[in-house]
Amino acid sequence: MKGMHGIIFSYEKKTGLRELIDHRIHGSIPIGGEYRMVDFMLSNMVNAGISDVGIIMQGKCQSMLDHLGTGKSWDLSRKRGGLTLLPAFAYMEGRGGPGKFRGKMEALSGVLNYLEEDIRQDYVVLADSDLMVNLPLDDVLEQHIATGADITCVCTARAGEMGDTCFILDETGRIVDTMSDLQQPQGSAGLSIFVLSKELLIRLVRHCAAHNLYSLRRDVLQGMGKELHLHAYIWEGYAARINTIRGYYERSMELLDPQVRAQLFCPQRPIYAKENDAGSTYIDPTGVCVNSLIADGCDIQGSVRNSIIFRGVQVEKGAQVDGCILFKNTVVKKDAVLRNVIADKYVVFREGCMLMGHEHYPMVLGRGSVV
Amino acid sequence: MKKECVAMLLAGGQGSRLYVLTGDMAKPAVPFGGKFRIIDFPLSNCTNSGIDTVGVLTQYRPLELNAYIGSGQPWELDRMQGGVHILPPYQSATGASWYKGTANAIYQNIGFVDLYDPDYVAVLSGDHIYKMDYSRMLQRHKEADAACTISVMEVPWSDTSRFGIMNVDDADMVLEFEEKPKNAKSNLASMGIYIFTWQKLREYLIADEADPNSANDFGKNVIPAMLRAGERMAAYRFEGYWKDVGTLDSLWDANMDMLSPGSGLNLLDKSWPIYGRSPSCPPAFLGPQSDVGNSAVAKGCSIEGEVKNSVLSVNVTVAPGAKVSYSVVMPGAVIGEGAQVQYAIIGENAVVGKNASVGAPPDTASDPDQWGIAVLGPGTHVAPEETVPAKTMLDKTHQGVKA
Repeated sequence: MKGMHGIIFSYEKKTGLRELIDHRIHGSIPIGGEYRMVDFMLSNMVNAGISDVGIIMQGKCQSMLDHLGTGKSWDLSRKRGGLTLLPAFAYMEGRGGPGKFRGKMEALSGVLNYLEEDIRQDYVVLADSDLMVNLPLDDVLEQHIATGADITCVCTARAGEMGDTCFILDETGRIVDTMSDLQQPQGSAGLSIFVLSKELLIRLVRHCAAHNLYSLRRDVLQGMGKELHLHAYIWEGYAARINTIRGYYERSMELLDPQVRAQLFCPQRPIYAKENDAGSTYIDPTGVCVNSLIADGCDIQGSVRNSIIFRGVQVEKGAQVDGCILFKNTVVKKDAVLRNVIADKYVVFREGCMLMGHEHYPMVLGRGSVV
Repeated sequence: MKKECVAMLLAGGQGSRLYVLTGDMAKPAVPFGGKFRIIDFPLSNCTNSGIDTVGVLTQYRPLELNAYIGSGQPWELDRMQGGVHILPPYQSATGASWYKGTANAIYQNIGFVDLYDPDYVAVLSGDHIYKMDYSRMLQRHKEADAACTISVMEVPWSDTSRFGIMNVDDADMVLEFEEKPKNAKSNLASMGIYIFTWQKLREYLIADEADPNSANDFGKNVIPAMLRAGERMAAYRFEGYWKDVGTLDSLWDANMDMLSPGSGLNLLDKSWPIYGRSPSCPPAFLGPQSDVGNSAVAKGCSIEGEVKNSVLSVNVTVAPGAKVSYSVVMPGAVIGEGAQVQYAIIGENAVVGKNASVGAPPDTASDPDQWGIAVLGPGTHVAPEETVPAKTMLDKTHQGVKA
């Protein structure tokens, strides 16, 4: 069958996201006032006409499971195909313990039956759940078929940050070398989105499992880079990988820039989020709200500046919120002053309290904290 | 499958007193309060009251309403048994006719109600803004052993001549019904919300249909006929917010009530949620130069100008230098740079051009009778620099000529 099948990885990884992943995996980190990280990749897939998506998850996935539900919010609740949740339970039993996936190939080998039996499409797109991007995956497939590549790797035009995968391309866009962990990143930064045929994917997964290989980057892109035709798809638009608190804060604040929003939330390719039933936000006569993104169901009586405010947040009279990211149902009581603070769900800031982070080192409060 | 109570929601009226706002859609589909449409209130009341089977009777311009209701999923009315059903008039072996009146609409759907073999039927209006627990009204109906229970509320004595007034005894059983009386004996007004014992109503609907002189209307014919026949008719006193939004003024008023905590229509009330279908869009952005106060703002809005005492729906744009006050702005509308919108209702996807002006405050009118809310119908374009005076209504055929 023509078209692509989507696979999204959302398992525990070592990152610098501290309190934000105390209760959840990357894919379900709230972002942008309205979304969870995984909404971006799910929407990218749905907007490219993909109707079947499998999500490989491991670790603290309760909030992810709750968020995804039947997949209805992304139009992925289907009779055939649709959204399939692939928790690591079966894999763990086979290995006899609650291990962590060491890499994508290992994660894929844990769901080999699914790959063999449930993928109806000729092609597969693999992606991570911690990338904030809005790109046309159907274009990637088109290019993949046109170039005749074995694997198409989506990357940016520029070198990325430390820790990114670096692809060195020749003039035709073919990848000639794949590097990682460079002090001085060079080439094009990978976005961890890969398109390949179902048949090749299964062959690679079997090969890796048989040889105790587990890393897509090391064992496939680097290890088999000479045998396989690896090709780059260059994405010139906005893309942000979130893997540190500072990165989370800075990327979030970039959303206040209308040009970034125009790229991420273009009407032709909407980003879908789980529906909610909050009413409008009310801004009181004494309330001030400037240069901020504000979700529905909030009650703003104090002042909010340069901030991202999720659903159902209350900011009482005299309170000042500046440069903050406040998750769902945060309460900022009278006269509290907050600067550069990230507050997870249900945090309460008591009357008159004062908390200051730095824009390079924002203060993070875990879920349900009372200050 | 048997249901205890089925709701029949009357949503077929044109809503002609909303003029340009209902040119292309039925009144219940008109946006309300930022994220809702009028019909969300009765539908959500059903869900919150445990009624899972609802027939929506449509006739006038139903397309937008049909699309909006869809499977009923936003209201949890996509059920294995029951759920929400759209009921337009249909042809049968003996002929076909439009719904001649509210009672006739139910009469034509006796077959639908009988599918669920209910003990009771609630008859609701699709154009009221209120939060009501129908299960309590049903309780009252059962306790009073009534054939019909009518929801009533106290209105100011000065307003009694505008309502259908119920005169009741000490046990709140209805003795007499007077339509818009000059000298009212009571100030209990009917809200147009009824619960009937289905077998009784069924008889009266058949009898009403057989009467060639009947207007086939609940208030004018069926209720008086039941009273005349001595049926037990109970009043159910409702306390709380209720408004018929059948006119432009009342629609504007009810939207403004969402901004005043004392009105009883609390935007942020979580105990009785109102559900609706809303598009996927990012949170509202309030720009660095924006100035928003005493206003409701919904997701997808982009505000760079000044917004005071107004209700903005989803995806509304207010450009830099624009001023919006005491207005209701419906989904997708765009208020251009430097434009002024005051005391107005701006329809869906309408565009107010740069430096244009729509509406005016009441104190600017020399004759108060000549003042009123300015209204732009859905998709209306007002040209740059154009002035739309108070009490003016424009629809999308308006060419946007310079004033």
